Amino acid sequence: MHFLPSSIHSIHAKPKPFLSSPIPCKRHLTGHVQAVSVSCRATTTTFYEVLSLSPDKASIDEVKKAYRTMALRYHPDVCPPLMKEESTRMFVQLNAAYRTLSDPVLRKEYDCEILMEGFGRSTFGRTSRMGGVDHDRGTRSRWEQQIVELKRRSNCRMAEKEGSWGSRIRAHNMRNKEY
Amino acid sequence: MAEPEYTVASDSETTGEEKSSSAFPEIAIGIDIGTSQCSVAVWNGSQVELLKNTRNQKVMRSYVTFKDDAPSGGVSNQHTHELEMLSGASIFNMKRLIGRVDTDPVVHASKSLPFLVQTLDIGVRPFIAALVNNVWRSTTPEEVLAIFLVELRAMAEIALKRPIRNVVLTIPVSFSRFQVTRIERACAMAGLHVLRLMPEPTAVALLYAQQQQQTIHENMGSGCEKIALIFNMGAGYSDVAVSATAGGVSQIKALAGSAIGGEDMLQNMMRHLLPDSEIIFSNHGINEIKSMGLLRVATQDAIHRLSFETSVQIDVDLGNGSKICKVVNQEEFQEVNREVFEKCESLIIQCLRDAKIEPDDVTDIIAVGGCSFIPKIKNLIMTICKRQELYKGINPMEAAVCGAALEGAVASGINDPFGSLDLLTIQVTPLAIGIQADGNNFVPIIPRNTTMPARKELAFTTVHDNQTEALIVVYEGEGKKVDENHLLGYFKLVGIPPAPKGVPDINVCMDIDASDVLRVLAGVVVPGSQQAAIPVMEVRMPTIDDGHGWCAEALHRTFGSKLNLVTVQKKI
Repeated sequence: MHFLPSSIHSIHAKPKPFLSSPIPCKRHLTGHVQAVSVSCRATTTTFYEVLSLSPDKASIDEVKKAYRTMALRYHPDVCPPLMKEESTRMFVQLNAAYRTLSDPVLRKEYDCEILMEGFGRSTFGRTSRMGGVDHDRGTRSRWEQQIVELKRRSNCRMAEKEGSWGSRIRAHNMRNKEY
Repeated sequence: MAEPEYTVASDSETTGEEKSSSAFPEIAIGIDIGTSQCSVAVWNGSQVELLKNTRNQKVMRSYVTFKDDAPSGGVSNQHTHELEMLSGASIFNMKRLIGRVDTDPVVHASKSLPFLVQTLDIGVRPFIAALVNNVWRSTTPEEVLAIFLVELRAMAEIALKRPIRNVVLTIPVSFSRFQVTRIERACAMAGLHVLRLMPEPTAVALLYAQQQQQTIHENMGSGCEKIALIFNMGAGYSDVAVSATAGGVSQIKALAGSAIGGEDMLQNMMRHLLPDSEIIFSNHGINEIKSMGLLRVATQDAIHRLSFETSVQIDVDLGNGSKICKVVNQEEFQEVNREVFEKCESLIIQCLRDAKIEPDDVTDIIAVGGCSFIPKIKNLIMTICKRQELYKGINPMEAAVCGAALEGAVASGINDPFGSLDLLTIQVTPLAIGIQADGNNFVPIIPRNTTMPARKELAFTTVHDNQTEALIVVYEGEGKKVDENHLLGYFKLVGIPPAPKGVPDINVCMDIDASDVLRVLAGVVVPGSQQAAIPVMEVRMPTIDDGHGWCAEALHRTFGSKLNLVTVQKKI
């Protein structure tokens, strides 16, 4: 593939804002066993939260199981017709989460992204989502070095492979910086 | 009980007046219209049941015979001999011809059938005609299919003693969205409403998921994930699916398909037995049609027998002075159809690769369809998957229609107290969907095997300075160049603010919703302003109608590269 798409996987309520609004808008789905907060991009809800999983421990089998359980709840085919639009949005997000977390490489990358954002380096201005994670200065700089190295390597790899979650977000970040 | 009504269904659902007569929601029936055979099944409240016609047949031939009065199809009509179906008055193989233009190789391969298929190679629909009283009477695959579906509907209504409206149909994986619209039109002509269309192997996957779910219920075992490889090969098409199944959820991992099937093997064998058969039969005279029919029946019979015997004797008098007496063995048959088998192998390998599944990880191999009886087909699947045997719990000739009937019950909202219908299929896109960009390249926006519903977008930009218009031409397929793919439609984006080339951000978004409707959205952003420069355009696809093959060429001739787009290079 000779081109690299700079696309972002966005999930929106209405078609209109997909071009104009880089600001994440919050939307709440209620009426289920647990109220799940859904954002337009997975900016405030982590993929782990989407699948109701613990970031540290969830095994690949648990990811798959969680995906199936959630699919049985949110797939448009099993939801009443009135819920179709909402469930479609939920399911698309569920898929994005599953796709990333079921792939060891993508999951590692994603974990790094979360960590970085946890340290306040995010261009999205996200607040820490890694509640309870606390590192001293030395640990942080070592982490940052590792992340820089990981990013470099993954960028090389990305040159051969089209859009992962990481590459899309990175490309999006680059665009935002130019504005 | 209401009388059966043959009305064309409207899309707008009126609230429950008709349904009030019954306490239960209408259960959609499952229909598998094969290239050569077809069947109907329904969930009867506790299990899937195949419906029978008045002659007690569960599987019927798919054809329609045109006569002076009304045409009659393979559901009600009974040919005393196969040869009558080959007299030129009957149209069959509709599924191979539907939605194809006269430049399509599949249409060209249909020119040696007893009825008339004429091509002008200009990208319009082929001329198809049946011989009635020595006159070629023209028809279309949609019309033939609709006549056939009316018979199927009447048969189901008699069997179930209620009007039938909703159906779940199985379709080949390689069907384009344009072909799907033709199927839907044929159904509408027959007064049927398509509740859902399922790629054939995914219907089989659903049946498998239900079987696994029941086994677990009985054994109280753990619901661990099972990987199934499903290979379906009928007369017209081959399909492959890899599915991951657990807890009644059938998650399709990958699909692959091609318009290759038993018909190709039959024609290869006919050519092998009578090398210049195509030239002899090309004029479609009465005598030639007769000879062709005789050869076709003899060859078909030989292929069937070769599934159980190592060699067969073919003895046929073509009636025009030429006789064929030949012994054909397995090796010869395999050699003649080497390309067909190679294609099957490549489809299976591609599907496993796309699903990121190693052959060792496959739990069950399921082979269905008429061609799954051919020893070479069974062997090649088992060889690829390094297995000694195939899954036995599924009837190869009934699997797809049973899956469709299950989906019909699930999609109609039927509940089963024993949990037999707690099923879900997570489908993927069988073909990539994208637009023309970077010259005449096809740039996929929703890649093949993307889980549906899906929404993806990609950024493009202009190729010329001050380019104010752009043509968005939407294609579906796997080819790298647009002309290898199916055209779905096109529209023009106007009012792009004048800017140097490469500056405007043109976003093209594709959305497949829960009802499998494809929408293409396009909008323009000029960097610096966060606002959309012009209102976003939303177009439901496909937009094209019949005879669309020449559209792309005409667009290219008229606009050249004036309105082209390029993909945005990664900015790092």
